[in-house]
Amino acid sequence: MLLVKNREVVVPGQALAKGKFKPGKDVYIDNSGVLRAKKLGLADIKDNTISVVPLSGIYIPKEGDIVIGIVSKISGSTIIVDIRSPYQGAIPIPRGRTVERVDMSKYDLHLGDVILAKVKTFDGSSSLLLTIDMEGLGKLEEGFILEVEPAKVPRIIGKRQSMLSILREKTKSEIIVGNNGRIWVKSPSLKELLALKKALRKIETESHVSGLSDRISSFLSEELSD
Amino acid sequence: MMFNSEMLTHKLLREYIKDLVANDQRVDGRGFDEMRPIEVLNGTFTKAEGEAWIKLGKTQVLVGVKADIGEPFPDTPDKGVLVSNTELLPVASPTFEPGPPNENAIEIARVVDRAIRSADAIGLSSLVIEEGKLVYMLFLDMYVLDHDGNLEDALTIASLIALGRTEVPKVILKEDGEIEVKEEKWKVDLRDMPINFTFAKINGKLLLDPILEEENVAEAAITLAIDKDRRVCSIQKKHGHFTMEEIINAAGIARDKWSEVAEMIKEVI
Amino acid sequence: MPLYVEKKPDVLITEDGVRTDGRLPHEIRPIRMTVGILDKADGSAFIEWGGNRILAAVFGPREVHPKHLALPDKALIRTRYNMAPFSTPERKRPGPDRRSVELSKVIREAIKPAIFVENYPGSVIDIFVEVLRSDAGTRVAGVNAASLALANAGIAMRGLVAACAVGRVENFIICDPNHDEDMWGDADMPMAMLMESEKITLLQTDGPMTDEQFKEALEMGRRCIRFLYEMQKEALKRPYLIVERSVFEQGEV
Repeated sequence: MLLVKNREVVVPGQALAKGKFKPGKDVYIDNSGVLRAKKLGLADIKDNTISVVPLSGIYIPKEGDIVIGIVSKISGSTIIVDIRSPYQGAIPIPRGRTVERVDMSKYDLHLGDVILAKVKTFDGSSSLLLTIDMEGLGKLEEGFILEVEPAKVPRIIGKRQSMLSILREKTKSEIIVGNNGRIWVKSPSLKELLALKKALRKIETESHVSGLSDRISSFLSEELSD
Repeated sequence: MMFNSEMLTHKLLREYIKDLVANDQRVDGRGFDEMRPIEVLNGTFTKAEGEAWIKLGKTQVLVGVKADIGEPFPDTPDKGVLVSNTELLPVASPTFEPGPPNENAIEIARVVDRAIRSADAIGLSSLVIEEGKLVYMLFLDMYVLDHDGNLEDALTIASLIALGRTEVPKVILKEDGEIEVKEEKWKVDLRDMPINFTFAKINGKLLLDPILEEENVAEAAITLAIDKDRRVCSIQKKHGHFTMEEIINAAGIARDKWSEVAEMIKEVI
Repeated sequence: MPLYVEKKPDVLITEDGVRTDGRLPHEIRPIRMTVGILDKADGSAFIEWGGNRILAAVFGPREVHPKHLALPDKALIRTRYNMAPFSTPERKRPGPDRRSVELSKVIREAIKPAIFVENYPGSVIDIFVEVLRSDAGTRVAGVNAASLALANAGIAMRGLVAACAVGRVENFIICDPNHDEDMWGDADMPMAMLMESEKITLLQTDGPMTDEQFKEALEMGRRCIRFLYEMQKEALKRPYLIVERSVFEQGEV
């Protein structure tokens, strides 16, 4: 028996359903078999599975994620990267034979450099390995970094990148969204950057209200009209 | 622990802000001489004799003035006592750790205090009950709740408002040495309005009321207090270096800005 | 040298159970809860309860410094309860005193059972409770605010922890003692429960109660806590409802 509606705002501990339902993301089953929310978020009901889409929260790395990091320490063999998470990312500097197989120029990094990387492996608690070897990954030059709630990244990208396309077209900006809530932006001028910042804040606050794409589209048209 | 990842300002931020400044722009769209909006919250938030919770942009500070009575300092028997303290609360920033005030907190407290003291804004001599024996003591406790840059200026404004609102029960020292606390209250007479203006230097230009990102990128910073007669009454150069021209220029801008901020403070008290 | 002298009221409670502030035994003081009032904290909440003004903020999960404090299989939970110098009639010297240290621990023990600490191994979740204005019941207000701040920060929890103090004045069991009742009453019992299982995670008593009085107090506490839990839920959902309404209204135009 369902106790909440789809997309309803639920609080931690709130009863979501009883009976033949499967717990999805951020849902747990209590001692009496009731499915409950683990976080403040929106109830997401798909067939028999109930999940909660959190409305906020620190980024916890997942293998395969694309992240934007800041080089925070370089030792002899490892580059340590801050990815806005309790877990620091590590990029081992290639040695020996590996050197021949990779683009070593990518490893010419310094403290404070901003990089686009992929999460290679994460053991859940201490070892987080990143890679920059793939095409398109590595140091980001120029542009600016904006930070958003990691929980809102899927909304900022949108289904089949629909929201991201709107943002890119309307602000005529290059935009790369990291799963860790960092966004790299290259805008034609400060005006577009400020409009984009406002649009992102709007997405963050209104993510739970449907029709967001249209609203963002109109909002940006207005902000950038002259 | 000063250098954690939040403090490590990334290069893109540095370069971008510098580029903007070279084009006479700021990362939040303000003019170089423009302060962020100031909001004074309504309500009672403390048990202070005078208080103010204000926002300067997204920076939030809460100042409370507590009154007490006691002996004056031995070298100033004819003056009341003002004790200023600042707490950089851990709630305000991931970079603030719990514990006693560090050098930054102490410097900020002393900079705010110096502005008030150098202009004799509260008339310390008027806080005497009996010279050499009994004076009023005012404790200015400054709490930083949310750090988005320029704590000095925000705390100074909040302190002036809090002091201007401070009401203290009247105390008399009777002939037999007994202290009597009356029902009647007196209000602190804010006879001057020494306002601090902080400038950050980026790419050789001066930016008034730096936001946190600008503070982190600035090559130098300086705070000047202006009194009601438009005199510079206290200065604190923070980090970096300035030319004499830059400082004189900053003083000029601060002087021009004084009335706008002073008006707001007067209205709110 | 105090500028304010406390005076014990002549009557703490009338025969009909009317208290010094006009409340009946089961009534709680006016209360308002707001979340997300701080920008830099990961989660925050503000409670106005009677004359209390209490702020809670959460940072985390984040990296632990120094590293050797990190637990390999779960999050470390750190809590600090702190009273502002201007929170009391007589100025309180800044810095922790023995009472603050105890309350920090008690609050941590009240909240920790709610957190899925195994979800965040090797990290720390820092909870800060700042009492800006004190008016009896600061620790339970702190627990209520801390729960809200944790949820606001998106931390995985079994449920919210709601708290309330119960007291005894003569033969009356009262809910949410005010300052006079706290100072001059006969017993004081702060309580917290993890909702919705209603497991008690905070319980302290200061003052004697008979078996019957104790049971009545627990039951009174539970009822008050249920009420506060409803307020917590409303506070967490409110920002989203407000946005929804404003978007809807704008659409109509």
